[in-house]
Amino acid sequence: MNSRDVPHRSTLANAIYGLLNPLPFGLFVGALIFDLIYVRTAGVLWNKGAAWLIVFGLLIAVIPRFINLAQVWISSRHLAGRADKLDFWLNLFAIVTAIVNAFVHSRDAYGVVPDGVWLSACTVILLSIGHIVMAVQHSAAGMSAHE
Amino acid sequence: MNKITLRNALILALGVLLQACSGKASLLPAQQSGDAPPLPTARSFLVPPMQVPRYAGWKQGQAPQVTAGLRIERIAGGLLHPRQLYALPNGDILVVESNGPGSEPVTTPKQLIANKVKNLSGKGRKGGNRITLLRRNGTAGGEWEKHVFIDHLHSPFGVQLIGDSLYVANTDAIVKFPYVAGDTQITAAGMPFIDLPATINHHWTKALVASPDGSKLYVGVGSNSNITENGIDQEYRRANVLEVDVASAGSRIYASGLRNPTGLQIEPHTGKLWAIVNERDEIGADLVPDYLTSVQQGGFYGWPYSYFGQHVDGRVMPQRPDLVAKAIKPDFALGSHVAALGLLFSDTNALPEKYHNGAFVSEHGSWDRSPLSGYSVVHVAFVQGKPIGAPEPLVGGFYSEDESQLYGAPVGLAQDNDGALLIADDVGDAVWRVTAASP
Repeated sequence: MNSRDVPHRSTLANAIYGLLNPLPFGLFVGALIFDLIYVRTAGVLWNKGAAWLIVFGLLIAVIPRFINLAQVWISSRHLAGRADKLDFWLNLFAIVTAIVNAFVHSRDAYGVVPDGVWLSACTVILLSIGHIVMAVQHSAAGMSAHE
Repeated sequence: MNKITLRNALILALGVLLQACSGKASLLPAQQSGDAPPLPTARSFLVPPMQVPRYAGWKQGQAPQVTAGLRIERIAGGLLHPRQLYALPNGDILVVESNGPGSEPVTTPKQLIANKVKNLSGKGRKGGNRITLLRRNGTAGGEWEKHVFIDHLHSPFGVQLIGDSLYVANTDAIVKFPYVAGDTQITAAGMPFIDLPATINHHWTKALVASPDGSKLYVGVGSNSNITENGIDQEYRRANVLEVDVASAGSRIYASGLRNPTGLQIEPHTGKLWAIVNERDEIGADLVPDYLTSVQQGGFYGWPYSYFGQHVDGRVMPQRPDLVAKAIKPDFALGSHVAALGLLFSDTNALPEKYHNGAFVSEHGSWDRSPLSGYSVVHVAFVQGKPIGAPEPLVGGFYSEDESQLYGAPVGLAQDNDGALLIADDVGDAVWRVTAASP
């Protein structure tokens, strides 16, 4: 969402979204890094750390995801473009993947490998595409504003 | 993406999720008993098979059910989580009232949830950290006299009398008390005898039995994890039977690879050490059968690397094919997730003859199995020092017919001087006594 184009959206909702939305991405990237280290070292703390990162990522994602749901489909749907909708779906699938991954990460020891690593990678890839899509949209919108 | 595609994707995801969650058992414990139990392929789950009946306790006058020809009576109630029984030579019975020390830290999100679910059964309630002495008060029938025998213990489990010394295995150390036959209380402080592995205490019970000549103590020390998820370095001197020299208190690892050896006993005909062992969880409702086995000096029984001989467990890293190759297959499977927690060899007793010459095993039941299994006391017949046939249940009825409520759960076993089978019940907080219906 391009906040410069959305004067009708709640400033508070935008602030909360802007504050919380980046956090799950960072946590999920951290989980993927921990997973990769665990695959190489079999040091159980990396595995347990990844499990916590995924759970906290999911918990923190709840509020920004609901704000996004409301803005894309309800309150500001006339402002939501194709990129906003694509970003919504990418995030939704990333969250579903992360939920399944949280369960996979409840397995003991090396039972998490390899399923958990693939799921962590999927989560990060989906969110990365979402971020790129939105960034490209922002650039495009910025350019059109200058033209 | 349109709505129909989304809906289909969600239905597919839900289907995969449900399939991964369902894990109903297809083998009865009896079908998975003996020396060559069928072992299905190990599975991975999103949520392992789980079924936990809610704690209800026994109503007034309610008791476990016994098979035809047997009679059951309650000889003690109102105890604080009675885990273990020990018959003293003069006929007094010691009841160890105990539960885990609660020292295992929460290090995974899973533990937060699993601990809450598991404790719904009443199995996680606080123990008395004491030993109560039961004495029959002349008149036949009714409850026995109760005396607080030793107080202020630290998650005690195993008890063994050698001469006039009573050894009590707390979760972190064996302590030694002076014993005088007939006394109903020991006030002397316990003498430290030997430290035991005490970090984390994922499995906290320390089972205890003496060699026939009283020169050695065997200590069952359970693993510090289900399957090394706390790190292999936390398994030092764990999943072992330790042998302690009584004279010097020196100790060594007698046998290894026994995930959780909760009951140790000497088989009376051969004088050999036997153990009941609780096997690993979360690879299927029909895996891995808990077992009863003779314990060979220097023997390795598989945990964590393999189960029932050479069945490799992929959850352990690094793998150890060298150890798997020499893993001994246990003598006798009892069924998956029955959670054997009490073992008693009995040649003759006050039960009908078919219950002579063999081992009684109490099965506490597990959270990791649906439908429920265990929650019963079974008899395993022995011929020439070897188990034969299928385990035969003799006491059951510990949960409601719809499997939703738990009244009690059998744990420690002992035989009183009249030959009756005594059963500690740590959910029902009682001790039960089983005899033949007509003497």
